[in-house]
Amino acid sequence: MALENPFVPYLATLKSVMELTPDVKLVGVELEDPAIKAAFDYKPGQFAFLSAFGVGEAPFGIVSLPQRNNSLEFAVRQIGTVTRALHELEPGDTLGVRGPFGNYFPLEEYRGKDMVIIGGGIGMAPLRPVINTILDHRDEYGKLLIINGARTPQDLVFAPEFKTWMEASRTKLELTVDRGDEQWGGRVALVPDVVREVAPSPDNAIAITCGPLIMIRFTLTVLKELGFENHQIVTTLEAKMKCGMGKCARCNLGEKYVCRDGPVFTMEQISQFLEQP
Amino acid sequence: MNLLMSRDDLIRWLELLLQERTLIAPIRVQGLLLFQPVSKVEDIAFDFDNTTLPPKEWYLPLTETLFSVKSGDGHTELVPATVEREAVIFGVRPCDAKGIAMMDSPFLQEPGDTVYGERRARTALIGLSCKQARPECFCTSMGSAPDDPSNVDILLTEVEDGYIVQAVTDKGKALLPQGLKESKAALPAPPEPQAVPTEGIVQVARKLFDEPYWERLADRCLHCNICAYVCPTCYCFDVRDYPDDGKVERVRSWESCQSPGFTRIAGGYDPRATKGARLRQRFYHKLLYFPEQFQDIACVGCGRCVKACPVNIDIREIINDLQQLGAKSGS
Amino acid sequence: MDLELIQQIRGLCRDLLRNGEINCVIGYERASDGLTARPFFAYEPAAVERLIFDETCTHNLVKYLSDKKGEKIAIVAKPCDSRAINLLLNEGQIKRDTVFIIGVYCPGVVETGWNRKGETLQARCQTCQLLKPVVYDFLAGQAPVRRTEGERYPDILEVESKPEDERRAFWLDHFGPCIRCYACRQICPGCYCPECFVERLDPMWVGIRIAPKENELWQAIRAFHLAGRCIGCNECERACPMDIPLSLLNRKLEKEVKELFDFQAGLSSEEQPPFATFKKEEKLGFEE
Repeated sequence: MALENPFVPYLATLKSVMELTPDVKLVGVELEDPAIKAAFDYKPGQFAFLSAFGVGEAPFGIVSLPQRNNSLEFAVRQIGTVTRALHELEPGDTLGVRGPFGNYFPLEEYRGKDMVIIGGGIGMAPLRPVINTILDHRDEYGKLLIINGARTPQDLVFAPEFKTWMEASRTKLELTVDRGDEQWGGRVALVPDVVREVAPSPDNAIAITCGPLIMIRFTLTVLKELGFENHQIVTTLEAKMKCGMGKCARCNLGEKYVCRDGPVFTMEQISQFLEQP
Repeated sequence: MNLLMSRDDLIRWLELLLQERTLIAPIRVQGLLLFQPVSKVEDIAFDFDNTTLPPKEWYLPLTETLFSVKSGDGHTELVPATVEREAVIFGVRPCDAKGIAMMDSPFLQEPGDTVYGERRARTALIGLSCKQARPECFCTSMGSAPDDPSNVDILLTEVEDGYIVQAVTDKGKALLPQGLKESKAALPAPPEPQAVPTEGIVQVARKLFDEPYWERLADRCLHCNICAYVCPTCYCFDVRDYPDDGKVERVRSWESCQSPGFTRIAGGYDPRATKGARLRQRFYHKLLYFPEQFQDIACVGCGRCVKACPVNIDIREIINDLQQLGAKSGS
Repeated sequence: MDLELIQQIRGLCRDLLRNGEINCVIGYERASDGLTARPFFAYEPAAVERLIFDETCTHNLVKYLSDKKGEKIAIVAKPCDSRAINLLLNEGQIKRDTVFIIGVYCPGVVETGWNRKGETLQARCQTCQLLKPVVYDFLAGQAPVRRTEGERYPDILEVESKPEDERRAFWLDHFGPCIRCYACRQICPGCYCPECFVERLDPMWVGIRIAPKENELWQAIRAFHLAGRCIGCNECERACPMDIPLSLLNRKLEKEVKELFDFQAGLSSEEQPPFATFKKEEKLGFEE
């Protein structure tokens, strides 16, 4: 079999679109070729490029799980030309998928540990398959704490799944917003402040965080105050990417490429880059 | 066994190659010296130091179509690019050949760039040893030499009555014409380029990431991309969809880490927003990140960037500066 | 090198830095070839010893003022460079009180490259109409001997005299090798847009393809964006690695604007460029 050109995407059909927030859509995508679809295996943490042909492609974390979902799901936030084009697609339209790329959360290594999942805004997206994996193997993990924050109540991502998360055993869900509204009766606080208030114990725990860079920085400070060490803190990063394969030499943090050595990193690996002003 | 080729032999051989393949060689174009496909052997420049641009564009073109999109009747098809051309590049200096070999590391690493791989497989390199070192050359400090046969298929070294021919690879052996006599002559001593203190530079660079040196140096940098484009080992690229006359093509073009906005994501965040961060990236990629992954310093000492930079950002001076800064800061 | 001139500049800069009037001096120092010059930024009084000024100081340093906005800067400016300062003042890019202009009486500069120094003055110096900078806070050196006023545009007249298809071929031959490094843009003091039209992808005016048609668009549009604004420092042509005769193109448009509007950029600190103004009595006649 001739080697595939890894720059050429697989053709896929848009199957479902659900509005999660005013600027985030959950899209479900199915690969057209059954053989490619069967061989497309991925783990939480990995990403793929979605192509809106004629406009371009961009990388998105895969938020579904092979065991749970028939389609590949992505949470797409509209912010630039490609994401705007993707938001204009309708079920039945053709798009491109290139992947899976990147490393993944080593969730098997975390068995038996207490899990602290801290997400802000669209940063909740790559954390969703982590949460779902833990829920699907609930007995294999310790306590599960989910802290999910957003700018406003409308911007909280994955609201339809909150009930399931809250009702799982040994699981706590703490929601927070930067600014409430008339209906919001919940917490109004920044995510790092909520982490400090809830004060999860670092003993036998892993903290996984994703969100705006400033949130990650302050959350890191709080976690260190609470006694978490660098190898216990995991994050997933985004970067401008063109190839996803460590060839266009643009997404690197030091010698590590976010596309190939990441996007999942422990703080041990990247803290020197986050501590800069 | 080395062979001897007279000048006439060489011309005849190139004419033969020209009939069977695309022959790419240094040609004078508008006062520049560029590697271009040749239609007549007489157009080739035989007496030159080095070309304006390295031959890397024959493996990673300035612009190419990765694939095109055909859609109609609700049906979409992606047509990938193909490579059919069998080519020979004549007149490659050992430094440039090393640059090509270094590009293999990122491009052929899994998942390999298949089009790049095809070009590599279908292109042979005829190297030409350097008779003199220019003031900006420093290949010997970067693991190469003016007569290094390592990365070409055939190496020619000019002598009084023609060229001593070293067939380095099987591909090279198969290209040579019949009837060449053996050469028992010793290879002439190569010229000696200037030395640059590269010993231990990788370890030194690792310590100096936060030095204010980079922002100061970047004060005069224009972020103009020239250094990266003339460099045999720089390979950053941009990919965009090009809707052109109703046909959609995904195009790959040269870009460099010096461009403002190279790392800026939609929404505006840029991890390398300052001039110093961008300038440091280029030198760290060459002196630290690339060697950490692939063992080679990503510089072949060809000196093109030294000559071409409009504000005299000189990699040899930077290496010297880093060594001094590293010695001051201790281990 | 004129030692008296350079002592004047060094002494002045030492004082300016010492008493904190400025953060930084932008001037020239010796390049790594030991022969030519390169831009130099002095932040400490001791650093002024590295400042030089001689016939290799061809660089236009005014570009750097756009990078250092908001800081108090002293800058060494030749007469041609000072026109670029006027341009930035006229277009509201810098404030007059943030820049201390060290003007120099300039006897002209030679062609330089790395390790390469020309013997005769550059063509633009031979026909230079300015003796001293048009705006300055301090004037260093002595008035040079008046140069012969030559025809400013002989090479343009030569191209203008060719028939249209020859002219088209001339330019397409030169734009072909363009590698879109954008050095011409990066080095030009007049190119300071935070987002250049060529970076715009929605709509995509030019795109990223490096090919003759796109190169032609890039070159032509940039030339038009500089029409009536180019001050003729030639940095674009000096920087271009592919030897494109950019100065020819930009000066052609300078000539057109002079003939249509009797205007040359940067000669006055107040006058607005023609394409930024409208006057009722404008001449709108076109020559056949």
